[in-house]
Amino acid sequence: MLPRNQKKIRNFAIIAHIDHGKSTLSDRLIQMCGGLTDREMSEQVLDSMELERERGITIKSQSVSLKYKSCNGEQYSLNFIDTPGHVDFAYEVSRSLSACEGALLVVDASQGVEAQTLANCYAAVDLGLEVIPVLNKIDLPSAEPERVLQEIEELIGLDCSNALSISAKTGAGVEQVLESIVSSLPGPKGEERDPLKALIIDSWFDNYHGTVSLVRVVDGKIAKRGKVKMSSTGGVHQVEEVGIFTPKKNPVGELVAGDVGYMIAGIKDVKAAKVGDTIIDAKSVGTTALPGFKEEKPTVFAGLYPVNNADYDSFRVALEKLSLNDASLRHEPEVSPALGFGFRCGFLGLLHLEIIQERLEREYELELITTAPTVLYHVLTTEQKLVKVENPADLPDSAVISEIREPFIRARILSPQDQVGSIISLCIDKRGLQQNINYHGRQVLIEFDLPLAEVVLDFHDQLKSVSRGYASLDYELLDHRKADMVKLDILINGDRIDPLSVLVHREQAKYRARDLVSRMRKLIPRQMFDVAIQASIGSRVISRETVKALRKNVTAKCYGGDITRKRKLLEKQKEGKKRMKQIGSVSIPQEAFLSVLRVGS
Amino acid sequence: MGAPDKTLVLPPLSLYVHFPWCETKCPYCDFNSHALREALPEEDYCHVLLHDLKAISHYAQGRQLASVFFGGGTPSLFSARVIAQVLEHADKQIGLQENVEITLEANPGSADVTRFSDYHSAGVTRLSLGVQSFSDTQLLALGRIHNSLQALQAVDMAAQAGFAHVNIDLMHGLPEQSIELAAQDIDTAISLEPNHLSLYQLTLEPNTQFAAQPPTLPDETTCWQIRNLFEETAASAGYEQYEVSAFARPGGHCSHNLNYWSFGDYLGIGAGAHGKVTSSNGIGRYAHEKHPRRYMAMVKANQSGRNLKLASAEEIAFEFLLNALRLKNGFRLIDFSQRTGLSAECILDTVKNAANRGLLNISNNRVRATDLGYRFLDDVIALFLPETD
Repeated sequence: MLPRNQKKIRNFAIIAHIDHGKSTLSDRLIQMCGGLTDREMSEQVLDSMELERERGITIKSQSVSLKYKSCNGEQYSLNFIDTPGHVDFAYEVSRSLSACEGALLVVDASQGVEAQTLANCYAAVDLGLEVIPVLNKIDLPSAEPERVLQEIEELIGLDCSNALSISAKTGAGVEQVLESIVSSLPGPKGEERDPLKALIIDSWFDNYHGTVSLVRVVDGKIAKRGKVKMSSTGGVHQVEEVGIFTPKKNPVGELVAGDVGYMIAGIKDVKAAKVGDTIIDAKSVGTTALPGFKEEKPTVFAGLYPVNNADYDSFRVALEKLSLNDASLRHEPEVSPALGFGFRCGFLGLLHLEIIQERLEREYELELITTAPTVLYHVLTTEQKLVKVENPADLPDSAVISEIREPFIRARILSPQDQVGSIISLCIDKRGLQQNINYHGRQVLIEFDLPLAEVVLDFHDQLKSVSRGYASLDYELLDHRKADMVKLDILINGDRIDPLSVLVHREQAKYRARDLVSRMRKLIPRQMFDVAIQASIGSRVISRETVKALRKNVTAKCYGGDITRKRKLLEKQKEGKKRMKQIGSVSIPQEAFLSVLRVGS
Repeated sequence: MGAPDKTLVLPPLSLYVHFPWCETKCPYCDFNSHALREALPEEDYCHVLLHDLKAISHYAQGRQLASVFFGGGTPSLFSARVIAQVLEHADKQIGLQENVEITLEANPGSADVTRFSDYHSAGVTRLSLGVQSFSDTQLLALGRIHNSLQALQAVDMAAQAGFAHVNIDLMHGLPEQSIELAAQDIDTAISLEPNHLSLYQLTLEPNTQFAAQPPTLPDETTCWQIRNLFEETAASAGYEQYEVSAFARPGGHCSHNLNYWSFGDYLGIGAGAHGKVTSSNGIGRYAHEKHPRRYMAMVKANQSGRNLKLASAEEIAFEFLLNALRLKNGFRLIDFSQRTGLSAECILDTVKNAANRGLLNISNNRVRATDLGYRFLDDVIALFLPETD
């Protein structure tokens, strides 16, 4: 093992919007440093999950340690930490960034800066990282490097005089990227002889090793067979293996200050190695943890139900497996008279929800029904107690509610100028409060405070649609604010269907009620009796529709002793009915429930 | 549900004889009937029927036939001689009860007094006329070969030929049928004074011409009003509804059909005919090959599908209910046990559940559909379907 020289280590991240070429660039860097042979280079090495590749997004942080011989003749270790790029994973991004001394800001030379890039770049600057602007895709005819550089300077306030222009696809300029990393980014500062402090960038579960943590050693060292402690929980673990990713897992004897690598320490539960936590020496007392650790709390909630009730057990097992790998995914059993047995899950955001749903469907081949996402309400009771409500069905009786508070976010929307009007109307429709509007060249940065409940429904789709796909959105949670919310109940022939209750703003109640009731009316088949569908606030019915009763079955003539056909016909009809849920004596098809549960507005 | 036990009693026995040919195939018809494209193989088919009859006669197990039904297709394409031969052999091989009911279906399009008299002389006691409607427009739309005048004459000829028992088949919910047109149909039928009416709604069955090119049918409300009108008019003229589509004046009930509905035994001969036989092994069924030519070839080769397939207890219970609940008076629990060999316990939960929903009525150990249940009989019967998972 060569003695390691901290000055010759560079820890860096890449900040980029989806499709701006982060994966292509990282593959190029790995290739040029000989991390993998051509044969081993499958496309886009780092996004290893099928889903990541398909969506072109990074869900889990990963890293790769590269050997690079600079033109000054020195050998450098470059630790590239790949970060998730989405707002849902903002916390993980900030942890990844804080493990680095520098970052490449990769911007598509024709598309320009997007909201997400902006947020992550601000985070990097706030954490004191040196940022190198890189214009990618300059080989495209539509590239406008000057305009985009101006945008970067104006929007982010970054000096672009040393910006690089490259094409990760053709490889043009990539060599300069490596040189720039070596010459412009500072090396790590930590001290190997100081007490151990290492940051957990990410943790995941591996069937063979248990929890594997990606760590950045800030001070001291982690050695094989040493004992370490988690500063937030106090849990002590024996280190079984440490190593670096090249990108293959490559065990080493120890990780020292400045290194980025993995640690395996016989940890069964990923929750015992939380992202952002500080690993310290087992015997250490009084070592201060690294700053910035916080527990990730879900902000968006939804019920997930297997379409076939028989899949419940495999669904439970799948969720448990995913939770092993995802400390922020929460799940609790839930029973819905309409949908059967399922789980109420908590997510970091909508994308997180979608990813979990897709992974369950793909990797575990489950067919799932996902209910409309809801947010965490704070309910102040008349006794001045604060109750947190994830599910509208759990709302306390209206008589004891003094106030309902809903979560608000600060949304930053970056869009070309000509879409501004429609974006502002959309935000106002969603009960948004305008905070700021700034013009930067062709781009406009619009800031709005919005209720999260409105955003989790279909705000993102609507934003894309009113801006013809150009606007990008980033947001952060602000606070809970008092809101005039009412609980809208759905009743079928007088029976309240609890899981269909929704919390809506009073001003929207009437419209939502009419919409929900008419959607259900269209999907409930006629039966032996009239079916009344009502929406009410408390005992006041604000919308009602009726599915008129059928007159009778059309019973054909029965003949010749051949009962097999009649029987088959009835069996077929019965199969159809089986998919329906019985509420009292009313048969309701699942689609009718879904029309209410799935879409919000 | 256990195996059939000793409560199983040999029920009455009837014989069904199927004639699978018609002059033309009606666009709504999904029965086993085939348009006649060549000369009717009268002799050959008769020969095969007699052969078939002989082969299944042992299923009678000592019982005589309570009824015989010549159905189709169009049995009246066949001469009285064929009918007489079948009856003669049935009497010889199995035996006809003294008061045996013998029905023959006839098409008004080929009605003829002499022909009808010959059937009567051959032993036929009851004539069932496939009138369907007395409106020429409707008959045309239904693709029938007869017109309204022939329909009227056919009923008249049946009486002239000496038939005391005549049934008129009348359909409703016909293409573009108005309430007024329907009222004329039922009034005309009743004015002819048959002692039996079969009133049923036109349904579009799969694999028919109407299913492929659906005609415009009256809306649900109109059909409902016509149905009510039919039932009320029939009732006030002294026809009592005893089954979903069967109405009779006193003494006019069709015992052959009643035997199906009360889960009696029946033998079937002819193409596609089904049989149901109770024996010490349980209740079994058989079904003949449907295609006329193949059926004939199989019988001649002594390989016709007449081997009994034993039905499971669940199937039997369901089939009993499928039939018996069609009867206005339903069934007694003892009938269920005797005809199925099963304890009434096995249906009681479902019966009670349906009773709680106002669909069935149980009193004095008799189960019958309520008015609501009778209107939604398919839904009620489906409650008794065995669970399929």
